[in-house]
Amino acid sequence: MLRELKNKVFVIYLILSAFLVILPLFHILFSVFANGIPVLLKYGLAFLTETLPAPNRGGGIFPAIYGTFMMVFLASLMGIPLAVLAGIFVAEYPNNALSRATRSLLLIMLEFPTILVGLFVMAILVMPIGSFSALAGAFALMIVMLPYVATYTEQAMRSVPAQYKEGAYALGLRKVRVVFSITLKIAKKGVITGLLIGMAKVSGETAPLIFTAGNAWRSTGGVLEPVGAIPLWIYYLVQQPYTNYHEIAWGAALVLMLFFLAVFLPIRLSMVRT
Amino acid sequence: MDQFKIFLLPVVGLVFGIIILMLLVFTLNSIPIFQHEGVAIYTTNIWKASEVSEEEFYGILSAIYGTIYTSTIAITISLPISIGLAVFVADLMPRRLKELLIIPTDIMAGLPTILYGIWGVFVLVPTLAEIMKFIHGHFSFIPLFSYYNPTGFSYLSAGVLLAIMVTPFATSLIREAYVAIPNIYREAVYSLGLTRFEATKVLLSYIKPAIIAGTLLAFGRAVGETVAVSLVIGNAFNIDASLFAPGYTISSLIANQFGNAFAYKLMPSALFSAGLALFTIGLIVNIAGLIVLKRWGYA
Repeated sequence: MLRELKNKVFVIYLILSAFLVILPLFHILFSVFANGIPVLLKYGLAFLTETLPAPNRGGGIFPAIYGTFMMVFLASLMGIPLAVLAGIFVAEYPNNALSRATRSLLLIMLEFPTILVGLFVMAILVMPIGSFSALAGAFALMIVMLPYVATYTEQAMRSVPAQYKEGAYALGLRKVRVVFSITLKIAKKGVITGLLIGMAKVSGETAPLIFTAGNAWRSTGGVLEPVGAIPLWIYYLVQQPYTNYHEIAWGAALVLMLFFLAVFLPIRLSMVRT
Repeated sequence: MDQFKIFLLPVVGLVFGIIILMLLVFTLNSIPIFQHEGVAIYTTNIWKASEVSEEEFYGILSAIYGTIYTSTIAITISLPISIGLAVFVADLMPRRLKELLIIPTDIMAGLPTILYGIWGVFVLVPTLAEIMKFIHGHFSFIPLFSYYNPTGFSYLSAGVLLAIMVTPFATSLIREAYVAIPNIYREAVYSLGLTRFEATKVLLSYIKPAIIAGTLLAFGRAVGETVAVSLVIGNAFNIDASLFAPGYTISSLIANQFGNAFAYKLMPSALFSAGLALFTIGLIVNIAGLIVLKRWGYA
């Protein structure tokens, strides 16, 4: 009897814990939609094309969108070749000490506090140059992105069946050709998944940008000038006392969330099918 | 050694170089504060900024305390729920419907942390503030609930928000280990006539290393989280046992104070040394977690 009762309580606990995990997610999604959609409707298309208003005026988040796209683009430009090559190294030479160390390092980098990356880049780029810049922000994002892309590349390369590689070697191809023309081509889908996950991840990062990108409310500067970013804007705007700034923060949160879901959901759903 | 390998070596060297340079930058920039006050930077709770550099004195003990306190709250809440969800998905959900629960947790694990932050400020904190006022009104004699006039910005809010953020990660690690238990063990346990509760208890003891690793890595994530925490913790130099008291964490201290740090001679160095502490805590916790995972063949 007591065993039965304990079992019942246990099953209830399992159901309850599932509920407790899912509830906050739906509440967050719901809150962002419920608070963000009215803002987008109220401000209209100008929300995406105008700059930050004075308190209690209408305006938009264009400098933030501009900065996010620019820095994610620059970070990808610098980081993707590096990360893919590092992933190739770990996948192609799996059994030496350096590869094992690299794999551990990438796993540690995945979990590394991103605020420290921001502080580091500030010390090596912002302080010598003497100004915040999109370049410094992009460099910080690159470091955050690197382990994601590298690990996905490694896993995709390893999942390629050995027969293809053996066939290529049997034809007398050199290692470079085998890796780039055969293995990487077959592993393409996995690598691209890694790139997209990495880009989606860093487009939502705030902490690495606080001391590097600097932020800009009304200007859309060049590579060596401070720029805004959507997450950065949200971070600063919620700390302001003005109601319309809070509205803009919610609108920006909706834009950021839709962007993230648009990249992440198709990738995740395509994994279910395979 | 083939040419291709030689071509790739500089790339790998660069990745290592970034991390080594990082450690170097944090160490070098910490030296001035160590020269000025020694280990007092880590053992005292003083924050005295001054134009005169001899009068400056910084101690980040409250931030270290807050980091460990909030992360511990997060793990305490998160661990039972993570295990519960893992078992629920593995054992109770029909195979076709499993993804319905796994996909949402994956979304949660990847969601930009600032979204947790804005939700924390405008939804979680006001809700918890009401609860805190009620509990404080009735149970203020218990030290955990003793903080006078709680506003909601507190260790507890940060801990709850962190719990929500690290649970998806912990649960997926535990779930993967749990479903990987060989079927003969499951069959053996159930053939003894055990109830689901008893069987699960035995099976969970089999994946204890994965649970320990999940806890460590989740703790590591909680320690490093910055923006969401700094928006809800209240940012006060405080060492208080009460869950309802405002405080600081190392990362929120850095995020909050660096803006005006350069007006003072030693404050940047103090914040770099705070970063060094975070670096060390994060590295130890994460390496410990990875070693446990590796030793038991989960990674």
